[in-house]
Amino acid sequence: MLNVKEMLEEINASPYEEIEIKTPHTGVVEFVGLGLGDRVTGPSGKWLERPGTLLAHLTREKNKKPICATQKGQVMDIRTELECTFVEAGERLLTIRHFLSREEVISRILKKALHLFVAPERAKYYFVPEIDAKIKASGEQSVKVREGLDMFIVSRMKRETPLSYSGPEGIIYAVYFQQGDNVDGGQPLIGVCPESQLSLIQDVVNRVQGEWEERD
Amino acid sequence: MARHRILIANRGEIAMRILRACEKLGHDFVCVYTRADQQSGHVRLALASGGPKSLYRVSSYQDPSEILAVADATQATAVHPGYGFFAEDYRFARRVVQRRRPLLFIGPSWPQVRDLGDKINTKRMARAHGVPTIPGSDRPIYDEMQALELAQTIFAFQEDQGIGEGCVLVKASAGGGGMGIEEVYDLDSFRSVYRRIRNYAKRNLSDEGVLIEQRIFDFNHLEVQVLAEGGGRSAIHLGTRNCSVQSLGRQKRIEVAPGFDPGSLPYAFDAAGVLAAITRHSVHMALQVGYDNVGTWEWIVTPRGEPFLMEVNTRIQVENGVSGVTSRIRGRADCAQGVDVIAEQIRLGLGEPLGYTQDDVYFSGVGIEYRILAEDPADRFTPCPGRIEAFGWRPEPWLQVFTQVPTLSRGEEPYEIPMDFDPNLALGIVWGQDLAQARERGVEFLRGLVLEGTDTRGEALRTNVPFLMNRTQTILHF
Repeated sequence: MLNVKEMLEEINASPYEEIEIKTPHTGVVEFVGLGLGDRVTGPSGKWLERPGTLLAHLTREKNKKPICATQKGQVMDIRTELECTFVEAGERLLTIRHFLSREEVISRILKKALHLFVAPERAKYYFVPEIDAKIKASGEQSVKVREGLDMFIVSRMKRETPLSYSGPEGIIYAVYFQQGDNVDGGQPLIGVCPESQLSLIQDVVNRVQGEWEERD
Repeated sequence: MARHRILIANRGEIAMRILRACEKLGHDFVCVYTRADQQSGHVRLALASGGPKSLYRVSSYQDPSEILAVADATQATAVHPGYGFFAEDYRFARRVVQRRRPLLFIGPSWPQVRDLGDKINTKRMARAHGVPTIPGSDRPIYDEMQALELAQTIFAFQEDQGIGEGCVLVKASAGGGGMGIEEVYDLDSFRSVYRRIRNYAKRNLSDEGVLIEQRIFDFNHLEVQVLAEGGGRSAIHLGTRNCSVQSLGRQKRIEVAPGFDPGSLPYAFDAAGVLAAITRHSVHMALQVGYDNVGTWEWIVTPRGEPFLMEVNTRIQVENGVSGVTSRIRGRADCAQGVDVIAEQIRLGLGEPLGYTQDDVYFSGVGIEYRILAEDPADRFTPCPGRIEAFGWRPEPWLQVFTQVPTLSRGEEPYEIPMDFDPNLALGIVWGQDLAQARERGVEFLRGLVLEGTDTRGEALRTNVPFLMNRTQTILHF
């Protein structure tokens, strides 16, 4: 039986996450004047259509691209020595200390409650087109899975092979990977909830929503 | 000749060969790499030869803006695409030469890449110039019902011809290098294979077009290495290669130059005549279409000695080195022991004239190239990801090894094979005065090769070395 209280206490002991903001690609960096300790916000709006606080600009081939905060938090460190220099892809620009939100806490706890279907090996994973289309149209919780269902395309070293789901029948409750990104072996791809346990999962969600206090 | 700074838009062993060719020709270079490739030999070589300012980490080798941003930041004057990635992307080639700060593209001009990069268009162009081509669809198929009807027609045709087990090839129209291609033996499985190839093509090539062709059995796969000067002024060939030893996925594993050896092996047809015909057709077509860099004309030859042009690869190929070791150019001291095809490509790409004719080219001996991969030939050549813990070979004057993997002894930091790319580890090219000596040396090289490691499950790393050794004895037999 899942001990939600114990898990919440564990998370409360270290409720922060250090988020490194890195350059997504090469370019010339210009910071926008943020200082240490400044508070920033993440994307907002129903579809996260409003970007987070502007942190810097990255200019590549005359295209100026804004680098925005991905989560709310506090600026802990800024690499001002990079100002107006051409930087490589993946260069760290600054660090944000982020306090975990309710959704993130729920997600952490659900990872222990749901049946996790894990990546059998390091590779890129894609949903098969039929499932991908269904998720895009109606959300992940619209997809029912059962043993043997062809669900994924595994791409490694430029070879593609199908991968079937194995585990209890149920609905996809959470998707833990980005299509096209490398996933390490043993990392969860999806969290499946048997239909009989949906109410139990909902209880966990309600409890976290009631007990977790959001902070800036 | 003006000194250029060439951005090498590629990775691994080909980036290393381009880098060395740049140094040989007196040009500067800039390399790029991704996080997954931090251990690659091209990263180490670039740092050792050019220092930290000659190497930049990018988010992807496949993002043209990344490549061009680095080119601008480093004041590069030319881009070499290597093979794969942008090598046959005419949009990239066009962008390189037509931007505000134009660069030279080391490869054919973009209209050539566009026209010959499309297999179907190549087929039409070849037919127009009297070059024989494979029977099959002459345009990409986008509709499943239409594809099914075409497959039905080809199966029925094969049955009429008395072929017991008919077979149809389904391949991505924009694909190449053996990727996105499958055989189908019956109509029941055709639909699922068609969908799989279409999805692959859509995701990887941004073009859902699929070709349906008759599968010709028991053929040999030959190539002609062409070098041509701008505007169809001059074109020569550096002989033929036989690339018939392939994996199940139709990817080459051993290449041999020349393509047949009628001097030591019996053939049921006039093999010398076939080699002469395919080189003649290839050079003729290159001149007719105004080809202007290095390129490969790929042929299939049936057991009856009929050659059909399959496609044209408008780029340097992995196996260029095996043509290089068997070719010589009179009057060129640097080509007395072989031709550096990549250096020739760079010269042509930077606008230099070819400077010699076919009469100046002659051939010497037999070359064999082995592609050494982390894969399991016993399990359908499935890639075997993992780490290499020991790697090395004995240097010989007749041997060239191109690899991004560091030479390693047990106990040193192992090399992690990146997951994002082909499992190619090394190319070994041996030269012999004749086929028998080349084979003997090939086996000697493979026997002496140290290649050990573990896969991701902790078991011994599987490689294709035993497969290469077994197949060495039968190369060029047809």
